[in-house]
Amino acid sequence: MTSGLRFPTPGIDERTDMHASPSPSTACWNCGGAPGPGHFCAACGKIQPPGDGGYFAFFALPEKLGVDREDLERRYLALSWKLHPDNFVRAGEYERNCSLELSSALNDAYRALCDPVSRAEYLLERHGVRKEGQTKQQAPPELLEEVFELNEWLDELRSAREAGSRGAETSELRERLEGARQAFEEKLAAVDAELGAGFAEWDAATDGGAGDAARGRAMARLNEVLNRRSYIRNLVASVTRELENDA
Amino acid sequence: MAYSNKVIDHYENPRNVGSLPKNDPEVGTGMVGAPECGDVMRLQIKVNPETQVIEDAKFKTFGCGSAIASSSLATEWVKGKTVEDALRIKNTDIVRELSLPPVKIHCSVLAEDAIKAAIGDWKRKRGDEAGPNGTSAAASQAE
Repeated sequence: MTSGLRFPTPGIDERTDMHASPSPSTACWNCGGAPGPGHFCAACGKIQPPGDGGYFAFFALPEKLGVDREDLERRYLALSWKLHPDNFVRAGEYERNCSLELSSALNDAYRALCDPVSRAEYLLERHGVRKEGQTKQQAPPELLEEVFELNEWLDELRSAREAGSRGAETSELRERLEGARQAFEEKLAAVDAELGAGFAEWDAATDGGAGDAARGRAMARLNEVLNRRSYIRNLVASVTRELENDA
Repeated sequence: MAYSNKVIDHYENPRNVGSLPKNDPEVGTGMVGAPECGDVMRLQIKVNPETQVIEDAKFKTFGCGSAIASSSLATEWVKGKTVEDALRIKNTDIVRELSLPPVKIHCSVLAEDAIKAAIGDWKRKRGDEAGPNGTSAAASQAE
């Protein structure tokens, strides 16, 4: 299942200092000086257009998956304040546009990085490891048999309900499904632990300035764990839904 | 987004739903799934060992209308074909026949994978070399 992955990642510089640069590498549109950190020119203080450094860089964070939520929220609030369009009502059109674009990008960036799973998905998408709906992603084969069986039970429960049987008649089936839900919830917890280990592997590779191969391995592992996680989560959700419908 | 009439037809009157005996040496089973939507698809073929012709095919799919239609169509198409010809069925053929919209192309990919996995499983049972790439589902069953 790694056949769809491409390494090394194109267009992403390996040097970690690149990831911490929030502004475009081009000179300030106003004074031509070097743009400083935090979306404003260090020399003249003017707001700068959004850079292409990605969401981590937007918050001047290193591209690491272990993120302190409180720290991220502080950065988000500080930037919301600084970039808010209200601050630019008397500025020129270009600055007003920069403020609008940055404010909208800020919200996208915050939403993507806030949740650990979407953060990891974002990282992999940015590096071309994961593509929404396009890459051929296979479900984890070792799960398929169980998934199929679970779906058959769900089908049975639905048909039984449609046939008007309730309560005692479906209780054995409900018990089986309840057991399966617990088993899959345990799997979900185990997958979350694996995801945590994957985060640590990526962060260590980033901290250690590891090469493309190590970073690629870390991303391939994350991708595999995320696939498994989304599959299991969908299952737990559909079992829960059916059991509630039947209650 | 509306489904095409062909998708609706296969969805409402799916062809060849069911199962074949999994342990029959002439039966190949392909089990595939898509992590994004949680779909899971089982496609089985029964092959005549003399002629290599797929004489029967059954499927069961848990998923959206397009996934069901894609696998239903796949069973129709593989029936009567030789194993080698069935391997030439491309997901794009399914997309074209069912007029699947871009967001549902992965359903056709799943159906193609299911055909390949079923054939791979059948070949493995006969002691041939492992099937073509992408038969991970069948591979896991053999382990």
